[in-house]
Amino acid sequence: MAQDRNKDGEKKKKESIFDLSKYIDKQIRVKFQGGREASGVLKGFDPLLNLVLDSTIEYLRDPDDQFKLTEDTRQLGLVVCRGTSVVLICPQDGMEAIPNPFIQQQDG
Amino acid sequence: MAATPATNPSQLLPLELVDKCIGSRIHIVMKNDKEIVGTLLGFDDFVSILRNLLLSVSLFPQGRRITKLDQILLNGNNITMLIPGGEGPEV
Repeated sequence: MAQDRNKDGEKKKKESIFDLSKYIDKQIRVKFQGGREASGVLKGFDPLLNLVLDSTIEYLRDPDDQFKLTEDTRQLGLVVCRGTSVVLICPQDGMEAIPNPFIQQQDG
Repeated sequence: MAATPATNPSQLLPLELVDKCIGSRIHIVMKNDKEIVGTLLGFDDFVSILRNLLLSVSLFPQGRRITKLDQILLNGNNITMLIPGGEGPEV
């Protein structure tokens, strides 16, 4: 496509739409395809969204209900997360669990 | 060069960390409930991984199944996490 090339005819460099460098050395929470969740200190990343997390904790799902998180966690230490499998990245203190807002209230 | 992503040079690149792990033990967590532990022989651009002497642990709600495998080529499509020097899930 014409807009993929600069004026000189060179290929457009791949730019990140999101700058992760502001999360370096901060605790972040990562959700993966397949339902896994992990949290750790971001030590490094690349444009393909592969991440290096330190002191990583994986949150384990309830085996009966795949969508409910349990209190169970396991320590993983220094971990590389595949960018192809990452679906969400947010700061650790940027989210909280709330009661289901979609449940219809029954009128008695 | 304003066009290039300004990554801090003192940070740790993910593929560098995997590269350092070549020849030593690594624990790989897949997207589903499978994990693999063994010696990393090498990897490519898509992080398909060549492994040796490993255990494949499938985690099920009723327990786990452990399979011993020899040398394998693991497709990088399903890899979620790579843990250098990992012990695997409480073997």
